[in-house]
Amino acid sequence: MTASLADLVDAARRRGAQYADARWVEREQASVTVKDGEIEGVERSGDRGIGLRVLVRGAWGFAATDRTSEAGVAALADEAIRRAAASAGTRRMAVRLAPQAPQRGAYRTPVARDPFAVPLAEQVDLLRATDAALRGPNARTRRAGVSAFRTRKHLVTSEGTDVEQELVDTATSISVLAVKAGAKPAQRSDMRNARQAGWEFVEEDDLPGRAALYRDDAEAILDAPLATARPTTVILDQPFLALLVHESCGHPTESDRVLDHEVAFAGTSFMWPDDRGRLRYGSEHVSMTADATVPGGMGTFGWDDDGVPATRTTLVDRGTFVGYLTSRETAGALGLPASGGSARAEGWQHFPIVRMVNVSLDPGTRRFDDLLREIDDGLLLCSPASYSLDEKRQNFHFSAQVARVIRNGEVEGHVRGVAFQSLTPDFWGRCDGVADDWALHGFLSCAKGEPLQLMRVGHGAAHARFRDLPLEVVP
Amino acid sequence: MSGVLIGQDAMLQPLHEALRDAPVDDCEIWVHRRRSAITRYARSQIHQNALADEVHVHARAVVRGALGVVTTNGLEADALHRALAGAAELAGHVPANADWPGLADPEHISAPRSFDDATGRADPAEQARAIGAITAAADRAGFRSAGTHQIEVTEDAVANTRGVALYAPAAMAYLRALVQSDVGSGYAEDLAARVGALDAADVAERAIAKCELDRGRRALPPGDHEAVFEELAVAEILRVVSLTGLGAQSVREGRSFMAGRIGEQVTGPRFTLHDDALDPRTLGVAFDVEGTPKRRVTLVERGVARGPVYDRTTAKQLGMRSTGHAADPSRYARGGHAGTLTMLGGDATREELIASVRRGVLITRFHYTNIPDPRRAVMTGTSRDGTFLIEDGRITAALANVRFTMSALDLFAGIELLGRQRLARDWWSSNGMGSVVCLCPSVKFARVTITGSSPT
Repeated sequence: MTASLADLVDAARRRGAQYADARWVEREQASVTVKDGEIEGVERSGDRGIGLRVLVRGAWGFAATDRTSEAGVAALADEAIRRAAASAGTRRMAVRLAPQAPQRGAYRTPVARDPFAVPLAEQVDLLRATDAALRGPNARTRRAGVSAFRTRKHLVTSEGTDVEQELVDTATSISVLAVKAGAKPAQRSDMRNARQAGWEFVEEDDLPGRAALYRDDAEAILDAPLATARPTTVILDQPFLALLVHESCGHPTESDRVLDHEVAFAGTSFMWPDDRGRLRYGSEHVSMTADATVPGGMGTFGWDDDGVPATRTTLVDRGTFVGYLTSRETAGALGLPASGGSARAEGWQHFPIVRMVNVSLDPGTRRFDDLLREIDDGLLLCSPASYSLDEKRQNFHFSAQVARVIRNGEVEGHVRGVAFQSLTPDFWGRCDGVADDWALHGFLSCAKGEPLQLMRVGHGAAHARFRDLPLEVVP
Repeated sequence: MSGVLIGQDAMLQPLHEALRDAPVDDCEIWVHRRRSAITRYARSQIHQNALADEVHVHARAVVRGALGVVTTNGLEADALHRALAGAAELAGHVPANADWPGLADPEHISAPRSFDDATGRADPAEQARAIGAITAAADRAGFRSAGTHQIEVTEDAVANTRGVALYAPAAMAYLRALVQSDVGSGYAEDLAARVGALDAADVAERAIAKCELDRGRRALPPGDHEAVFEELAVAEILRVVSLTGLGAQSVREGRSFMAGRIGEQVTGPRFTLHDDALDPRTLGVAFDVEGTPKRRVTLVERGVARGPVYDRTTAKQLGMRSTGHAADPSRYARGGHAGTLTMLGGDATREELIASVRRGVLITRFHYTNIPDPRRAVMTGTSRDGTFLIEDGRITAALANVRFTMSALDLFAGIELLGRQRLARDWWSSNGMGSVVCLCPSVKFARVTITGSSPT
């Protein structure tokens, strides 16, 4: 890039911006996929560009380009100002940014082994071993993959912030589809196994071992009896709860949703500002936290895209809704003293919006075995399959990839077709125990915004137990 | 030609230069340029106003039947050459792919669509004026409004070492309005290839009319009901059908409702579906990312499964010819993407559709649908922004959002009356990045299965 970010911010200020920030982002990705024992894809991708955000008369304008010549960058300032001026013509309430002291510094993901430097042959060998473990008598389609991501960002604002970051993420994926005449196909997969870390994350994860478990699950589900639709006690595993926390707590506590910013697309919330400290979200066992400082979390960083340092915010405290995910803009609109540091943009071409960081179910004090032992008749549900939520994140429907019978405190065979529909406070209100086996999960593509932005987010969860959950059966 | 376009020569020239010095014999470059101006408004004022201008380059190189892929966002010839070199290096590290079909050969491509210069020239002030018309109308009705105005200009270019050299510009204009009261909401939108075809006053009027009706919501009990689905709701079902069963890969892997059933009656005789990017009434590019001309594909004809869409790889695997449906692999599943659907319509008016219902539900659109059983095309999702009870041919009450859970095939088996076709995108595809565009009718269904409800 020939022009500096500071020059660009200055250019915007000279054109009348009361605030401006310029963000340079450079992204790299490398991925290898093996399908049915053969290499399906070996790909590398990258992009880089610059986004300029300006406030003019209390209204936003944003322009972004990947043509970073001096002329291209100079045109950015004109376009951003033009768009802000058009916005200002409709303004009824000025954007008021929550205060933030200028930030300077750098943040880098601690990486023990650079995932981009791992020889391709080593990656392929691992994936072939994983694929071999997925082979079962009825396995129709098997896939295994590894991906690495590197994001370099540089943010300069007109208030004096100047921060640089380098984030490295590594992800694995496994899936097997088992098909047998006369049976419904059975899919077992894990697409949410990602960590802000280097290749050491892959080395610590026993991919072939997990693949063997997935193979056995898929084969067992083919022949499993259909579950019975009834209220029963269930324990959900960490991957299942990671998604439930994401969908039923992370999204409805995004403060831009209560300001109607997403009402026409992503939707709103049932958790309104006046409900803070009053709304019963769940039982006393349920506490949830947004924390951008969790080591290895896919929502971990030094600063968000407003330049706000990573922080921790309680969202649900022992069953009561207490807090939101916020940006400087939404914190200002809600009258909060400071932003919670949740303004994030997928890339240089995107306007920062309120996103999850690492939103987690706090661990409990019980052991998983103790929660299990207290169940005479119930189900252990592992990993979500299909999921669907209404626009307020209130009514939801989830189905399970794996359902195991719990009888007299012991996990027994599989049943199939388990799903449940619930209302968020009713569901979390049924929680009567959270285990202490908290584990971190990472999602690569939380979708929100127009144009759609796919964000990497983290979620921690422990096994948790829910009483009398009405189950549906998908035949 | 609009000054907003890079243009055919400027798009293809660097591709030709990079391919002339290609590191290996078989190379291909697809370039997608996207200039998207999205203005979002909420509480009757603009809150986000963004222009992003970006180029996506997808370079493929083949070494002894092995494929390497590099994507980047630099259109300069040296950046393209680096991408090809990187792809060739990757290909050199992997074994040959027995399914590799080879690069496309040049073929005749239908004449490109005309590009609307006025759409390319639309500026933020024009977008703000359209939004202002909606917010003013909502204000007068005592409601607040939110939504999106989007102008998108795209340019696609594909070239390869076998002589393919294709270019196509396209434009899209989109305007939506969600009008809210304290107790309800109403929604309407326009989608077109020309900004001049957007009618802000009409969008506002339709959304306001729905919002005025949406008060005193009642809960609809679970069970089977007659129903009228408006075009956006039908488009949601069609997207589910596309993602679960219209790509050749899903058929090959046994995941599609068509798997083992091509030539069989899979749904009712009133359901006919094509993928047709060449239909002048819809949006689409005449070739795919591999440089294959898009063909009109009959997917389901009078309820009989006729077959999926193919890319070059699945066509080779299944002994077929590519239908020109390879899609951006960074956004869509491999093996063919049916993204320009046309569903046969009829001539019933909205009033006639409603009048045909003895007791049932009218659904404007859905939110966040998903697919619990892909093989049977079973979907579940909740309605939003206009769900009403119909009794004796009239709308009699507003309903809380309902959860719909049902096989799309069972749903289409119950088509009783078809309205006129309209260009529509389902909820998910309205996210500003596209996915599936439908030319589809509103429909009266004999039976939909409602399995739950949001609070009133």
